[in-house]
Amino acid sequence: MSDVKLHDIRKAFGSLEVIKGVDLDIKSGEFVVFVGPSGCGKSTLLRMIAGLDEITSGTLEIGGTRMNDVDPSKRGIAMVFQSYALYPHMTVRENMGFALRFAGLPKAEVEKQVAEAARILELGPLLDRKPKQLSGGQRQRVAIGRAIVRHPNVFLFDEPLSNLDAELRVHMRIEIARLHKTLATTMIYVTHDQVEAMTLADKIVVLRGGLVEQVGSPLELYDDPANLFVAGFIGSPKMNFFKGVVSAVNNGTVSVELPDLGGASVETRLQATDIAVGTAVTVGVRPEHFEDTGSAALNLTIDMLEHLGGETFAYARHGSGDLVIIETKHGRDLKTGDTIQAKFDPARALLFDVGGKRIR
Amino acid sequence: MAVLQAGGGVRRYYNINGWLFVAPALGLIGVFMVYPILWSLWMSFQTGKGLTTKFGGFANIIRLWNDPVFIKALSNTTIFFVIQVPIMLFLALIVAAALNNPKLWGRSFFRTAIFLPCVTSLVAYSVLFKSMFAADGVVNGALQALHIISSPIPWLTDPFWAKVLIIIAITWRWTGYNMIFYLSAMQNIDKSIYEAARIDGISARGRFLYITIPMLKPVILFTMVTSTIGTLQLFDEVYNFTEGKGGPSNETLTLSLYIYNLTFKFMPSFGYAATVSYVIVVMVALLAFLQFYATRERD
Repeated sequence: MSDVKLHDIRKAFGSLEVIKGVDLDIKSGEFVVFVGPSGCGKSTLLRMIAGLDEITSGTLEIGGTRMNDVDPSKRGIAMVFQSYALYPHMTVRENMGFALRFAGLPKAEVEKQVAEAARILELGPLLDRKPKQLSGGQRQRVAIGRAIVRHPNVFLFDEPLSNLDAELRVHMRIEIARLHKTLATTMIYVTHDQVEAMTLADKIVVLRGGLVEQVGSPLELYDDPANLFVAGFIGSPKMNFFKGVVSAVNNGTVSVELPDLGGASVETRLQATDIAVGTAVTVGVRPEHFEDTGSAALNLTIDMLEHLGGETFAYARHGSGDLVIIETKHGRDLKTGDTIQAKFDPARALLFDVGGKRIR
Repeated sequence: MAVLQAGGGVRRYYNINGWLFVAPALGLIGVFMVYPILWSLWMSFQTGKGLTTKFGGFANIIRLWNDPVFIKALSNTTIFFVIQVPIMLFLALIVAAALNNPKLWGRSFFRTAIFLPCVTSLVAYSVLFKSMFAADGVVNGALQALHIISSPIPWLTDPFWAKVLIIIAITWRWTGYNMIFYLSAMQNIDKSIYEAARIDGISARGRFLYITIPMLKPVILFTMVTSTIGTLQLFDEVYNFTEGKGGPSNETLTLSLYIYNLTFKFMPSFGYAATVSYVIVVMVALLAFLQFYATRERD
């Protein structure tokens, strides 16, 4: 049993509240990613689970036991830090075995555990090196190895890949995913990189300003965001948002006019029945949802192009309006200054009210 | 490929502009350091009193072995070094660790207070110490009031207590100075290393012994070498506390004070004084080498 339950967790520094009541239920074996912009409280939340920061109020349970006041070493957790936090004067072997040796385990047992972790992480040839003789990726693997040898119930990762270059980040991401598959242990992972969140998580927790904005699987968050913030945060490039006004409501079908886009209109079906003509809304369309066909169309002029080979990002606008990002696989022949008609299926457009809440 | 012009190898080393920049400093170092060092080495082979000196070969070195006052000064200096340096550095380490705790109340005040002695006027503090440690001074008064001692300790007149007093004084003066080095080194240690250790279940004592101390090794070595040099050159406190005599009966006489006395107090014996000063040089070099050797990286 290594599920983690957070009930109304709060953290305040003096009068400043940074975590404003978080409820969360993490099931045993789940890979949960906390994601959000800088200062959203994701690292603080992780540090409170680790026991490195005190919980101001609320209850933290790990494996069914209240852990609020339990020492970090007795919570059954292990943590991997952004800065690796390796002991610089110890070899890789000593780094990984330090906790076990200090706990008084027999030397042979420590050796066995270290060897097993080294095998999983392919650290065998590096065991006698010191951290300064390792590359960033190797250091991070040692930090993960140090966590593995303790056989924790819950792994905590605090932006573990942020100090690595892009290529290594992708490589380590795959390694961490593989590790989760092998160990099947609960993992809580903090990142500001939504690609990491999407690729690793069973469940993503989007945080903003110390509050949970939405919890769900990566695709749930992508397909069905609860608000403007989540819609804008998940997905790369970012979702396009257009100002709109409801122009007609007819039997569950809503027509929205987009005044900034030359009066283009979007017709979509909604479950909501209380929406009135004249209501101001925001329409969200993902760049990858623009296609060659579709009943909604925007007349735009291309401002800038990014050819990535496989696909092209076109940055276009209507008149002097805001930039609209369009992702297309057929954009090789596009040129800056071209006028295009960007079409999309209006059923894929998302509507949000003035407060940013999703209208479904 | 034909070489049209020779590379800057020679010119780079003899670039006149570079030499012009360092010349003033080099000149001063030459006149006030290199020349006296070499001259004192030459002098250490001279015998005779005052200005009438003649080359005596190793006569001064032979004289060292037969000079009971030198032997006394050497043994006193060694005692001061062996006892005082470890005590002071240990204290500095403990104080630095305590002052590095962010939860400690009045941290800045204590840091300043503990550092202040090494910038205090030497004469003022010596006078104060002498008065405090006088037979009827505050220290004896306090110890008697607390019933720790029944009769006053003869701090300045007893051979043992006089040494203790000197050790207390220099420890008081230099602990804060060394503490600052440790403190700044401790503050450079990544906090997440300690957090990782906490999660690893390493106790506070374990973190200090197995993380802080090994990571401070270069700084500890530095303070060991500088403190060793400082203690081997000990002069000020002894001179001020004992009116330059190193008393009682040479029990606090140090090598530096002996050199001073040989040169300026007794009938001047410049050659012999230079020989004694080279004893300090040899000791410093030897001890520094030993310390570097003992703390070398083993990998």
